[in-house]
Amino acid sequence: MELLKLLSANEIVAQVITFLLLLFLMKRFAWKPFLKTLDTRKERIASELKRIEAAKAEVNGLKTDYESRLASIEAEAKNRIRAAVEEGRKSAEDIRRLAREDGERIFAKAQESIKAEVAKAEEALKDKIVNLTIDVASKVVQERLTEEDDRAIVETFIKEMEKK
Amino acid sequence: MAETGVAKTPELPNLVTILAEKFHGSPFASFLIAWENVIFSLIIIAAIAITAYAASRKTALIPGRLQSLFEMFVGGVDDFVCGIIGHDGRKYVPFIGTLFIYILCMNLSGLVPFIKAPSASWSTTLALAICVSVYTLYAGFSSMGFVGFVDHLAGRPRGIVAFLVFIPVMMFFLEMVSLLFVRPLSLSLRLRSNIWGDDMLLAVFASFGLKGLALLIFNSIMAIVVSIVQTLVFCLLTTIYFTLILSHEEESTAK
Repeated sequence: MELLKLLSANEIVAQVITFLLLLFLMKRFAWKPFLKTLDTRKERIASELKRIEAAKAEVNGLKTDYESRLASIEAEAKNRIRAAVEEGRKSAEDIRRLAREDGERIFAKAQESIKAEVAKAEEALKDKIVNLTIDVASKVVQERLTEEDDRAIVETFIKEMEKK
Repeated sequence: MAETGVAKTPELPNLVTILAEKFHGSPFASFLIAWENVIFSLIIIAAIAITAYAASRKTALIPGRLQSLFEMFVGGVDDFVCGIIGHDGRKYVPFIGTLFIYILCMNLSGLVPFIKAPSASWSTTLALAICVSVYTLYAGFSSMGFVGFVDHLAGRPRGIVAFLVFIPVMMFFLEMVSLLFVRPLSLSLRLRSNIWGDDMLLAVFASFGLKGLALLIFNSIMAIVVSIVQTLVFCLLTTIYFTLILSHEEESTAK
C-alpha cells in the first residue's frame, strides 16, 4: 500500500490526455504522411523494376531479331555471290563452246572449198594435158590421122593412164 | 506530489523544482510541484510534435535528412509490428510507434540537465499502460465482437470442456485479471523502476562531486542503454499483447 502513495489520480488522467494528444499529433504529422510515402515509394520502385525488366526483355528480343536478320542477310549475300560465280562459269563455258563450234564449222568449210579447188584444178590440169598431148601428137603424126582419130587415140591413152 | 509521503529520494534539480524553490510557499510553487511530470511530458510532446511537423511538412519521394530519419523510424516500427502481428499490424503501428518515441524521449530526457524523466514517475507509466490495456481490449472487441471476445478469453471452450462451466469461467476470470491488472502493473512498474533507479543513481553520483565523475559517466552510458532497452521491452510487450488478443482472429474468420 506504501507503493500506491506514489500514484496520483490527477496526474494519471493528465498523462493519459497528454499521450492521446501526442498520439493524435503523431498520427497527423508522422504516421499518415510517412507510411504513405514509404508505400508509394515501395510501389514506385516495384513498378520501375518491373518496367526495367520489361525493357530488358524487349531489348533482348530486338537483339535476337537483329541477329537473325543479320544472319539471313549474310546467307543471302553468300548465296548471291555463289549464284553469280556459277553464272559466270556457265557463260564462260558457253563462250568457249560457241568458239569451238565456230572454229569447227570454219575449218569444215575451208576443207570443202579446198577440195573443190583441188577438183577444179585437177579438171583444168586434165584439159591442159589433153590439149598438150594432142598438140604434141599432131605434130608427130601430121596428116596421117584426122582430128577425130587423134582425139579417140588420146582419150584411150588417158584412160589407160588413169587406170594405172 | 508524486514522490511525497515516501522516504525522500535524492533527485537532481530541474527547471520545475528550481522555479518552485524561487516561488517557495506560493500556490504557483505547489502547482508546479503537483504537475512536475506533466509539464515535462508536455515539453517532450511539443518537441516531438514540432520535429514531426517539420519533417512531414514537405514530404518528397526523394527524402531530405530529417525525412530520411523519420522514414527510417516509421519503416522500422512498421516492420517490427507487422513482423510480430502480421499484415493486420498496420492498424496498430501508429499507436506502438508513438509509444516508442514518447517513452524513449522521456527516458533519455532524464540525462538532459534540468529536465526530469517523466517516466520515472509511476503515474506516467501507469497512464501509458492503461492506454495499452484499453486499446488491446478495444482491439479485441472490435475484431471479434462482444461474444467472440468473451469466448476468446474463456479459451474457446468446445465440446466437453464447454459443459464443465467452471474451467471456461476460471479462464475468463484469469484473462480479465491479467488484462486489467497484471499487465498494466507489470508494464508500468518495470519501466518506472528502471528509469527511476537510473536517475536516482545519477543524482547520488552527482552528489559525490568530482570523485564520482567516472561513476557518473559509466552510469550515464548505462542509463542510455537501459532507456533504449526498457523502451523496446515496453513496446515489444505491447505488441505481444495485441498479438495474443488477435491471435485467433484469422482462424475465426477462416471458419
